[in-house]
Amino acid sequence: MSSILTHSLSKKYGSVKAVDDIDLKVKSGQVFGFLGPNGAGKSTTIKLLTTLIPPTSGSLTILGIDAIRRPLQVRNKIGVVLQQPSYESSLSVEKSLDKYGMMWNVTKKIRKDRVEELLTEFNLNEIRHKKNEDLSIGQRRRVQVAREFIHDMELLFLDEPTVGLDPSTRRNLLDFLKNKVKSGLTIFYTTHVLTEAEYICDEIAIINKGKIIAVDSPDELKNRFGREKTINIHLLGNQKTISSLLKGFDDCKIDFNSGTNITIHSDKSEVVLLEILQILNNNNIPIEDLSAMPTNLEEIFLKMVEHSNASNN
Amino acid sequence: MHPIIRLVNRNITVALNPGFLIWQVIFPLIYIFVAGFAYTSLIDEVRFGTKDLTYPAFLATGMIGFNIMNSTLVSGIIIWNDRRFGMFEQILSGPFTRGHYILSNIFTIGIIGLVSASLIAIVGYPIFFESAEFSFITIPLLVFSAITGSVLFGSIASIISTRLKSSEGFNVILNTAFLFFAFVSTAFYPAAGVPEPLSTAFYLNPLTYLVDVIRAGIFGTITDFVIIEMIILASLAVCLFVIATKLLSKLDF
Repeated sequence: MSSILTHSLSKKYGSVKAVDDIDLKVKSGQVFGFLGPNGAGKSTTIKLLTTLIPPTSGSLTILGIDAIRRPLQVRNKIGVVLQQPSYESSLSVEKSLDKYGMMWNVTKKIRKDRVEELLTEFNLNEIRHKKNEDLSIGQRRRVQVAREFIHDMELLFLDEPTVGLDPSTRRNLLDFLKNKVKSGLTIFYTTHVLTEAEYICDEIAIINKGKIIAVDSPDELKNRFGREKTINIHLLGNQKTISSLLKGFDDCKIDFNSGTNITIHSDKSEVVLLEILQILNNNNIPIEDLSAMPTNLEEIFLKMVEHSNASNN
Repeated sequence: MHPIIRLVNRNITVALNPGFLIWQVIFPLIYIFVAGFAYTSLIDEVRFGTKDLTYPAFLATGMIGFNIMNSTLVSGIIIWNDRRFGMFEQILSGPFTRGHYILSNIFTIGIIGLVSASLIAIVGYPIFFESAEFSFITIPLLVFSAITGSVLFGSIASIISTRLKSSEGFNVILNTAFLFFAFVSTAFYPAAGVPEPLSTAFYLNPLTYLVDVIRAGIFGTITDFVIIEMIILASLAVCLFVIATKLLSKLDF
């Protein structure tokens, strides 16, 4: 079953198409990553999907409900953590979790238990009596994300939830989300941190200038667009003749950094590497260190956005 | 629980802080007990309809209307803070509609207005009880005043909060508007005897009509003019409520 289904969904502001005929299908029980550069249309898409704004055209079905006709019915079943901070400045952390639960009609008893669970899960016990206005940006973000789990939901929208979080808190949150997905929750996730998307997302869509330019699993995206690998060779001592020795390789790009480092970018990196090692061996050039890096999602993302911009131009 | 009740509960929790309570209760009491008695040496009696009132009795009843108006500041502040701290968008991405949001604000100020007006009426009672002339319409008139006043001034505060983007602008405009309402009215002093342009200005101010209706209810001096004032108040409240609702409905995310 699909949790989100859109067909030719568009949003126009005057003559500007912020979201341009997008078709999305998000399967239930997965983390769906939604990536794109600034101003690509990510936040507008989230506002459309969460029924905060109506589309200009197209259809939108959320959890099997026509979201254009029955937005309130949809909003009763989803959770939303928006990109901008949202908090009640005068309330304490504990009180704001409890009041948010009350707003969602969660019974007092369940609220009490869940508040305690979330305070522990999100490491908020130390600041439970602190007012929201006195918290740091990262602490507020933790409260904002934790707060959304006070109520039941089938689909959760997270718009850059890890902004302002330190690495260990970020990892804890990602693991917490992974566990929630195992219990059936669907998550629509946007981020600029692509290692994070790689870690948590089952499927990823990339949006640029309001259009979806790719949808696939992170591995498939890498297979399709990231065959190129990068190999770093660190030589022992400065080898002035190295650039002349490695002339004549056609299928790769070789960078020589200060005569001690060689960086090779190639689709056939294994073959190129073998040949280079042979040359180095024949010329008695010792190697101190060697490492190979597969292309990461970030490079694929940059390449695809660049390619999409070039096509549009 | 109905969504509007849940939002009202949340609004009251957010709005009730020590600063607001001092503003709502302590200030009017200072006016009644300090200014009221201090000015008695200057203002002996005040004519209201067919009655002569002591100045503290006149002021105590004026403070009920003043307090209803002040309580509506909450509406503007709630909307302003919700927009400023992202809760407006957060609430509307949850199980609520804009209609729920708008009505919850009106109910919140209605409740706060009614409670604070009752509080001032109870505390001020020993001061105006000698002149009071309660009848079967006293309570309905006070409730009418509390509700109409709350809707009217709450709508004004809401309109201001939807039109302004800076905190400074919001505070300056709201405080200036409410300062005008408070002091260019008959809440503190009678219109009779003040220079002509000022007494005209008094009757361009809805607070004047509000306190006149409250006094008419408490002192049993209902005249045709008071009924006209009630009609003006109700009409103005409806118009401003419609404008506030339209502006809130169009508020962008």
